[in-house]
Amino acid sequence: MDDVKKAAYHQSISNAKSIIDVSHVNQSFEIGEETVDILKGVDFSIKEGTFNIIYGPSGSGKSTLLNVLTGLQKPTSGDVTFDGKDLYELTPDKLAHFRANEIGIVYQQNFWVKSLNVIENVSMPLYFTGHSKAAAAKIAMNALELVEMADFAKKRPVLLSGGEQQRIAMARALVNNPLFVIADEPTGNLDSTNGDMIMGLLQKCQTDLDRTIILVTHNMEYIPLADHLLHIDDGHVVETMHQGVAAIAEGLLDDMRSRISRLAKGKHNV
Amino acid sequence: MSKLMTVFTTRREKSRQYKSIPSRVLLYIAWRNFISKKLRSFLTVFGVIIGVSAIFFLLSFGLGVQSLVTNQVVGDKSLKSIDVTSPNSKIIKLNEDTTNKMRTYPHVSKVGVQYSFPGIMSYNGGEVDAVVYGQNQEYQSLSSLALIKGRLLNNVDSHAVLLNTSALKALGIDDPNSALNKVISIDIPLDRVEAKKKQISDKFTIVGIIESGAGSEIFMPSNLFDIAGVPTYSQVKVVMDDTANVATARKQIEASGFQTASLTDTLSEIDNIFRFFNLVLIGFGSIGMIVAVLGMFNTLTISLLERTKEIGLMMALGSRRRDMRKLFIFEAALISFFGAVIGVLIAYIIGKVVNLYINLGAASRGVTQSFELFATPWWSIVTIILATVVVGLLVVYFPARRAERINPIDALRRE
Repeated sequence: MDDVKKAAYHQSISNAKSIIDVSHVNQSFEIGEETVDILKGVDFSIKEGTFNIIYGPSGSGKSTLLNVLTGLQKPTSGDVTFDGKDLYELTPDKLAHFRANEIGIVYQQNFWVKSLNVIENVSMPLYFTGHSKAAAAKIAMNALELVEMADFAKKRPVLLSGGEQQRIAMARALVNNPLFVIADEPTGNLDSTNGDMIMGLLQKCQTDLDRTIILVTHNMEYIPLADHLLHIDDGHVVETMHQGVAAIAEGLLDDMRSRISRLAKGKHNV
Repeated sequence: MSKLMTVFTTRREKSRQYKSIPSRVLLYIAWRNFISKKLRSFLTVFGVIIGVSAIFFLLSFGLGVQSLVTNQVVGDKSLKSIDVTSPNSKIIKLNEDTTNKMRTYPHVSKVGVQYSFPGIMSYNGGEVDAVVYGQNQEYQSLSSLALIKGRLLNNVDSHAVLLNTSALKALGIDDPNSALNKVISIDIPLDRVEAKKKQISDKFTIVGIIESGAGSEIFMPSNLFDIAGVPTYSQVKVVMDDTANVATARKQIEASGFQTASLTDTLSEIDNIFRFFNLVLIGFGSIGMIVAVLGMFNTLTISLLERTKEIGLMMALGSRRRDMRKLFIFEAALISFFGAVIGVLIAYIIGKVVNLYINLGAASRGVTQSFELFATPWWSIVTIILATVVVGLLVVYFPARRAERINPIDALRRE
């Protein structure tokens, strides 16, 4: 990309409509006598069609933030607004409908309904929006072809390899034409080839399908893919947008290199 | 790939209706789960089969015995008829006036009347005591006389009689064929009642021979007694168009001071006894069912614990909580439905086989009428299947409630 194109891209992202607004979100849990604060005054917006990466160390509150975003965990205080509506003002049924209709999720670990085959598992979000088995199967087949897994339609998902399962999970996340795709450490259990393949698919979702991507990871390798970085540490979120991302990515990768070479000091001349 | 991409590039118009999973799809998922755990599902259903077939087998035995007893009591008699008697024949008379009044009551189709008196018949110089019945046509049609020769009385007969075989023997006529058209004398003293005539004494032609009790019996038209001025009928039967109207008609008749009796009285006694008897049988059968219910509860609970993650996943993917409750209800319904249907079928077949053997055994000992020791009326089949499904729904209450309350965050937490 030349500089002009880059500038135009950054401009378009800046102008994009925000679809999720998180404001002043606090989340604390009572553990025995103690109150543990997990999220502390979190504020950010997710803009339509952007690639967002939430990163931070283990235990920093990534998963909790994700649960808050997907309507599974009502925050102790603060608002999560989707399409102008407060997510947690919705009735439980409408919230379920929101999850089925607007969110596609890929997990690190693969979860399946074990008694159903691949295409039926991919159809699951469609079932929850009222599709019949036959109608859902048609759309699910397209989604499977999209991830090049159509030949596996009648197989049991648990019998497939990690990479294959993750591709099917991608198909399931895309099948309902969701507004945004959420990937929670999707490459965590994969080798780098399969990891890259999944990341490539996620990128395609953004560039070719105009989906909004929210990726949660503690793996720094993929940070340069982001338009919008959310660094979460000890419950606080620091945002970095477009131009800043490159610098952050560079810094993080430098940190990683020097950390590894420190560890390996004396063994080789790294 | 680009062609496929177009399927997903433009966001379809999202439905604003909050539709959720169709019940058929939910039932399919329940079914898949049911058959994916083949051994466990089979054993659980097998338990229900044993419980249901034990109950149904014993119940069909109870119902079979009940209908045997009922048939024995009712025989050919009509449940639509009411026997009317007078508590005091001097004051409240069962005569033409009062029976004509009964004919006007709603839903009355027939009123049969009969006189019965001791009489003497003589033939060829021999004299024999006999019971003489004077019946009108309606009463005769209710009596279901077993005619073996000749014909029954008709409404133009005046000096025609039917004799039973015992009466023929007493008169010394051995061959029923030769008895027809023979003329006998009959004397009926009427001095017991305040009749106009002191007695009926006349000659009668034998027109038919019937098979009935051990004593000598003569049947003749009732009009001879009417002419003789006998003041009250001995027996009156009021027949309704339908058994449902028996109770109201009885009340109406009793309001005029008569006493009534009906076979339904006896039948309700029989029903009362068998209701208790059948309950005891069902109670014995239920012991097996209790064990089956425990097995079912166990299976559903294990299924729930095993599938906590699956249910959490479905909730995260957009299932409503009540859909997950419904999923478990469907699974329990599948187990109990199959158990009930197969259980009933097995008990039904065993009952039929036992019936067949008993009937064959009875036939070899000369019993001509076949009978059912195990009765399986359609309502008992429907009731037992419905009851088992209801039991299944009660059993699933707690597992389904737990399924509904699963927290997807906890269920999908990384280990």
